[in-house]
Amino acid sequence: MTTTPAPRPRSRWRAILARNLTTRLVILLMLVLMTITGVNDYIRLARERERLLRQTQEDERIFAETLALAVSRNVRRGQTTTELQELLDDILARPGLVAVTIYSPEGSVVAETVAVGEAPPALDDLVRTAFRRGSQAAPLEGKSGPLLRFVQPFRWPGGRTAALEVRQALGDMERQFREAVRERILSRLEVLALLVLCLTAVTRWSIARPIRKLIAGARAVGTGDLAQRIEFTRQDEIGQLADEFNRMAANLQAAHDELVRQAQERLKLEQEVQQAQKLGEVGMLAAKMAHEIGTPLNVISGRAEVLGQVIPRDHPDRRHLDVILRQAERIGGSIRALLNYTRPRRASLRPEPILPILGRVAALLMERSQRRGVRIHLELPVGLPPVLADPDQLQQVFLNLVLNALDASPPGSVVRLATADGPLRPTEGRASVVRGKVEGPALPIHIIDAGKGMTAEQLAHIFEPFFSTKGQGLGTGLGLPIVEEIIRAHRAEIEMLSLPDQGTEVIVRLPLAHPEAAAPAGPRPTGSPHDR
Amino acid sequence: MARQPSILIVDDDPEMRALLLDVLRNEGYDTAEAKDGTEAVLALRRRGYDIILMDKNMPGPSGLDLLPGLRRVCPATQIIMMTAFGDVPSYMEAVEKGAVEYLFKPFRMEEMKAAVAKALEKKAESRA
Repeated sequence: MTTTPAPRPRSRWRAILARNLTTRLVILLMLVLMTITGVNDYIRLARERERLLRQTQEDERIFAETLALAVSRNVRRGQTTTELQELLDDILARPGLVAVTIYSPEGSVVAETVAVGEAPPALDDLVRTAFRRGSQAAPLEGKSGPLLRFVQPFRWPGGRTAALEVRQALGDMERQFREAVRERILSRLEVLALLVLCLTAVTRWSIARPIRKLIAGARAVGTGDLAQRIEFTRQDEIGQLADEFNRMAANLQAAHDELVRQAQERLKLEQEVQQAQKLGEVGMLAAKMAHEIGTPLNVISGRAEVLGQVIPRDHPDRRHLDVILRQAERIGGSIRALLNYTRPRRASLRPEPILPILGRVAALLMERSQRRGVRIHLELPVGLPPVLADPDQLQQVFLNLVLNALDASPPGSVVRLATADGPLRPTEGRASVVRGKVEGPALPIHIIDAGKGMTAEQLAHIFEPFFSTKGQGLGTGLGLPIVEEIIRAHRAEIEMLSLPDQGTEVIVRLPLAHPEAAAPAGPRPTGSPHDR
Repeated sequence: MARQPSILIVDDDPEMRALLLDVLRNEGYDTAEAKDGTEAVLALRRRGYDIILMDKNMPGPSGLDLLPGLRRVCPATQIIMMTAFGDVPSYMEAVEKGAVEYLFKPFRMEEMKAAVAKALEKKAESRA
């Protein structure tokens, strides 16, 4: 046994039992087996003991009958009490015999012999019963252990009945019985030990080991190694479990790969949009520069042209003028080249459904909206009429507008994208600014935020390049000028309605692709907002 | 043609105005100048012009803002807009609002003269 005293042996064992399937299984099986064989053995041993007892009784009966016959014969031949006593003394040498007593028909002791340390028998109920009804047997607790009494009546001269009592120690039988029990227990233990060994080996080999393999596999998958597979050749439940596990891991891997692919796609799309935006911004800068430089450059080249008409071609100083003209032309060329490079290509307008464009915008801004804790609600019904649009450019418009709305919104608020004929928020006191003009029926898209809104003063400048209500370094101030440019190229219209602390509502009115199809049931032909 | 065609030049840049004035006067046109929309409106009140050569970018109301009003007041006057190169949206807006010609700065004087001549032709056509 273990000699190391465990600090809390019970809880430690409990921990082992709780963790180790094999141990638990083996202990459970052992308990069941031990109970069954224990009950079985108990019944068998009880029967064995009974059998031994019966045999002892039988032996004692035969002995007592024989003895009674002998005594009866001797008495009839007239032997004296002393001679009887001698006979009895000789008989006492028989192993296990404790006492022999001969009672006369009157019940008095004629002769007796008692082993050392035992109480001498005396006339009692059992003996009296034997006188009347024949031989009797009964157990008795003697001084040196259990005894078996046997009283045998026999013929006494004169036709009367005497009796003879034999007391036999059961110690011998008990010893035999104990021997049998010990043997039984030993053989049981041997079988049990063998069984434990076999069971442990079998469970370890066929249950614990594969389960450990499964655990290792699950752990690997749990920590991200989705390529992990479990190789079993077995077809049983554990083999099926491994198959299912492998299938699950494969599905996980496929789902994971799909997610990665989608994320990469989104990233690529986002980068493209950012690139387009950046290019648009540089284009705005170039346009601004062209505005600033255009007039002075025109004055220089124009004056040089005027001079060129005055100075004859063959004049020696004519070359100075030509250089001025050429260099002015070069500056103009550089600005044109820059503008051509950065200007978004001309809008190619075609009938487009608006919902996919807005859906893409919402998807592109999903991460940013989650980061800011602002939700984007697309409240647009399906079946909206298609609009005349360049989807890429229109996407940039809505990207800019929804981005502005997100950036202006406090966490927990909602940015709504909806369609409605009139403004969705109370117009009272709101300042409004409109860019572009739409002719004929149009589809109005409203972008509504719960941000801090803008003053009329801010709103008046909102479409100017480099004007930004965002903090220093947050906005380039070129987003809305680009929006305006695209809106105008679409022959569409944008209206901004705002009031400090009341949020901002932007309405983009896009011309319908099929104006003739715009029945009165469709969106109301939206004229200039000043008509209202 | 009994009288010289008259041209009103509207630009906030004095040097640009002076250049256009010099070149057009040299071509024999009857020219006048205005430095912004207000001056242009005042000048138009005094007399009519055949052509207005107007910059888009000016302090106060821009050339595009002035366009519809001018078209209403003097529908016979042809209006040529000037703006920086690449300003396509304002070009489209200007055409929508009734500008007859459009010049992207920097433009060559020959270009400008051709535009003026074309505008005069259109005016003659519309009168006919």
